[in-house]
Formats: sequence, structure tokens, C-alpha cells
Amino acid sequence: MNDTILEVVDASKHFAGLKAVNGVSFGVTRGEILGIAGPNGSGKSTLFNLITGVPFGPTSGEIRFQGQRIDRWPAHRIARAGLARTFQKDAEFPDLTADETLLICGTYNGQLGRVAARTRSDEVLGLVGFADTRRGIPSRNLSVYEKKQLMIASGLMSRPAVLMLDEPASGLTKPEIENLDRLLVAVNASGVTVLLIEHVLSLLLSISQRLIVLNQGSVLAEGNPAEVVRNEAVITAYLGGRKQ
Amino acid sequence: MTRNNLLLLALFVVLAFVPQIFTDGYVRHLFIIAFIYAIIASNWNLSLGHCGIFNFGHMTFFGIGVYTAAILTKTAGVNPWLAIPACAVTAAISAVIMAAPVARLKGIYVVLVTFAVNQLMVQLVLSQADLTGGAKGLVRLPFLTIGDYSFIRDYKLGYYYLALILLALSTAFLILVAGSPFGKSLKAVRDAEDYATARGISVARTRISVLVLSAIFTGIAGGFYTVYLRVASPEVFGFGTMSLVLSMVLIGGINSVLGPVIAALALTFASEAMAGIGGFEDARYIVIAVAMILVLRLAPGGLIQILERLAPTGQKPATPTRSPA
Repeated sequence: MNDTILEVVDASKHFAGLKAVNGVSFGVTRGEILGIAGPNGSGKSTLFNLITGVPFGPTSGEIRFQGQRIDRWPAHRIARAGLARTFQKDAEFPDLTADETLLICGTYNGQLGRVAARTRSDEVLGLVGFADTRRGIPSRNLSVYEKKQLMIASGLMSRPAVLMLDEPASGLTKPEIENLDRLLVAVNASGVTVLLIEHVLSLLLSISQRLIVLNQGSVLAEGNPAEVVRNEAVITAYLGGRKQ
Repeated sequence: MTRNNLLLLALFVVLAFVPQIFTDGYVRHLFIIAFIYAIIASNWNLSLGHCGIFNFGHMTFFGIGVYTAAILTKTAGVNPWLAIPACAVTAAISAVIMAAPVARLKGIYVVLVTFAVNQLMVQLVLSQADLTGGAKGLVRLPFLTIGDYSFIRDYKLGYYYLALILLALSTAFLILVAGSPFGKSLKAVRDAEDYATARGISVARTRISVLVLSAIFTGIAGGFYTVYLRVASPEVFGFGTMSLVLSMVLIGGINSVLGPVIAALALTFASEAMAGIGGFEDARYIVIAVAMILVLRLAPGGLIQILERLAPTGQKPATPTRSPA
């Protein structure tokens, strides 16, 4: 039985002469946590863009999700199909409270009625550990960690098959990163496949079951995280080579 | 019920008793015009403030309403009571046509396309003089009656209450839309388009829907306006009217239903009061422009933000964090 939930086949994104993503191929197994690392500008976030269609799809190549080719679908349809992602920036609806944010995510993405959306909101906010007392506050007034919690919760509203997180630990304190670690493991344990882009290697290595390293838009290394981080090419790409 | 909605309710109760206080036709006429402006401004705010679409073609929906009612009543002999609601349909159809190119555009291109549609309508009206009366417009339209009772009697009492009812219906409609998941999705699309898309919201469909919804009562207001004044002229598409209504939206406070309604009332009467001062007839527009600049500079959330500062609710006022698209 083929248990590949998401498949990226020779995907590329070119901006004029710049090859932001160049011929990337990999598969994601249902239920795994796949880490994605790479230096700044290596094409990690662009890869997420190509997969989700937000804000653009690939120039060439194919993206297959649960057996269906999705790279020509409108982005909102891809989201509704069960691919949820988070963002590094613009990670909030500043005028909306947590309850309002989750209401629209449940309504549009999850196709839920008001009552069902409210019930699901309670579940996901409980899962991410979002304080009940903060639910009625406009998102612009939330802390960085609360905004991250809310963004993950909003992605979970539709019970997605895959959750794609783009540097969720950036800007967080060490205790918050430890909480995030536990949260992502719990989300994965609930049956959600997780793709994680992260610069905080402690988090990435602690929860990823497999690791892909991108460099200059291409896959540089792929495999067991502990082995990949010892890969000479990876060390050179990240650090410019070993110190003598 | 929110504090703003309570204020609106109180405002409508007061307005219901205004004809008992002001019995002359002129003051009532000013209120009627203010109510019409309030409908246009608050509906414009739905697309501009709530969804961030810098739609410069909103007055097109009003003009479509004006000419729909005028042509139906004058040329086709349709009863004005039927012609006015028909304006909602024609304005909504024109919104769909305008929204098609706007749905996927951003920034200055939205302004250009919507303004171009507005100018296109002016040319259409001028070129189809047999139907529209061209530059002269259509005059002596039939007025509203119920049985033998003409609305023009009793110092426009009937028109006053009909305009107030239309404003109340429009305001209730806007509150309902703004409070719905769709209304919340407008702010999501305005403030974080990619995030909204990634949560299953179709940005293009949302923009088309909000333009259509904002056109419905604007078209009805146009129909009522032309039946009330008994004249339809291409001036309704003009830049002057558009600027005045836009100033009502901006001074009142984008992102709220109450703000533009209050600003429409205040600016209509302020403008009229200044017109009565010798030598100040044209300078009043400068005063309104300066007021708009000051409000945008000092309180970008408009009169509503100022009211909230005077009586804080414990939460920051909801002002958009980005310029409209």
C-alpha cells in the first residue's frame, strides 16, 4: 500500500533568472514529521508556497496530495482539501479576536456551522493551550506566542491531513519553544502529518523523523536527521565549512 | 447588543421624532438628502473599510439606481414603488460586471479600473440621449403616492419617513453582514490576504460578493433619490458627489457602520450651514477637505475612534492596519 500523502515531483519556481526552487522532488509519508532546513534564501518558504499555492504555484513540476494533482488548483481549494499552513509574517487577522478567527476558519475551511465551529474552537484552543481569557481580544494585542498558538489552532480547525509550519519557533523564548515542541508532537499524535521549516535546530532535530536540507533551491541532503546534520555538504552550506 | 449598535438605535429613535420638531419642508429635505448620503457612504464603507477595496466606482451603483428608476418610471411607465426595488437588481448586476476585473487586482489598479467604469457610465448616459436624456437628463418623473395621498404633501413627511426606513433597513443589513462569518472574512482578506487564502477563503469571490452587497442599497438609494427629486442627471456620476460621500466615509470612520451615518448627517448640515454664510459658498468644500485631512492625520479611525477615545471600552479601536488594496 502506498502511504505517501504528499508528493512533490520535480517542482521548480523561477523568477526571471532566479531559480528559487529548482527541480525539487520528495514524498511525505502519512503520519510523519518531516523537517525542512536550509540556509536563508535556500527556497524553504518558496517550497511551501508551491505546495499550497499561496501566493503562487510552481513554474513546472507536479504536486500530488492524497493521490490528486493539485498544482493547478486555486489556493483556497487546496486549503479546503486538507493542506493547512502557517506563515512567518502576516500571521494574524489584527482586527479579529481568536474566536472570530476560528469562526471564519471553521466556516470556510472546515465547512462548519456556527455551533460546530464553536465546539471545534474549544477543542483546538485547548489543544494548543490558548488561554480562555484571551479569546475575546483582537489579535493585534496578543503576544507573539499567542499569535503562533492561534495560527496553529486556525490551521487545525478544518482537521487537516497535513499541517505545514514555517518557522513557528522564531521570536519565541526557550520555555515557549519547549511548549511548542510538546504541542507539535501532540498534533502529530492526533493523526496530522507535519512539515516543519525551522532554524531552531534543537526543535527540528528533537521532533523530526526525517529531514530534508535545501540549498540554493535544490535538495542537498535527505534522510535521518542525526545523519543529515553530520553530512559534510550540509555543514558547508550552513557554516561555510568546518573550522580547522 | 454592542455600544455602537445601541447608539445607532438611539439615533434612529431621535430621528423618528425629528419631523415633530422641524415642520418646514426645507429642513426635512436636508434630512432626506443626509439619509440618502448615509446609505451610500455606509455601503461604500463595506467594500472600502471592511474589505479594503479602494473602489472609486461606488457612485456608479448609485447612478445606475438613479437611471434605472428614471427610465422605468418615465419611459416604461412603471410604478415608482416597483422601480425603486428594481434598482437593487440593476446595481447588483453592474457590481458583478465591475467586480470581474477588480477581483484579482490590487492597489492603484483597482482605483483606475473602478474610476474608468464610472467614466464609462457617464459616456453611456450621454451617448444614449434617446433613453437617458443625455446631458439634460430626465425630468418631471412621477412622484410617490399611496392611493390619493402624495408624498410631496405635508412638507415631505412621507419622503422623510420612507428615507429613514430605507436608512434603517440598510443599516440593519450592514450590521448583519458585518457580524456574520462573511463580514469577518472581509477583514481577514483586507489585512492578511495570503493567510485568509490559506484558510480556505477565496479572495476573488469575497471581493465580488462584497461589491455586489454594497451595491444593493446604494442602487435603492439612487432610485429613491431620483424619484424624490423627480430628476435624473449625469452629475450623479460626477467627481464632486463622489468626493463628498468619500469624505463622509473617511471622516465617519472606515471599519464601522455607525461612523459614516453620523458623518453623513453632520456633513450635510455643516455644508448647508456654511453655504448660508456670505462668500463662503465654495469655501465650504475646502473646510470639508481640511476636516478630512485632520481626521485622517489625528484619528485615522474617524469620528468613531474619537468617540471611543472619549468613552473607552477597554479594547483598542478597530482601525485597519493596512491601506486599502
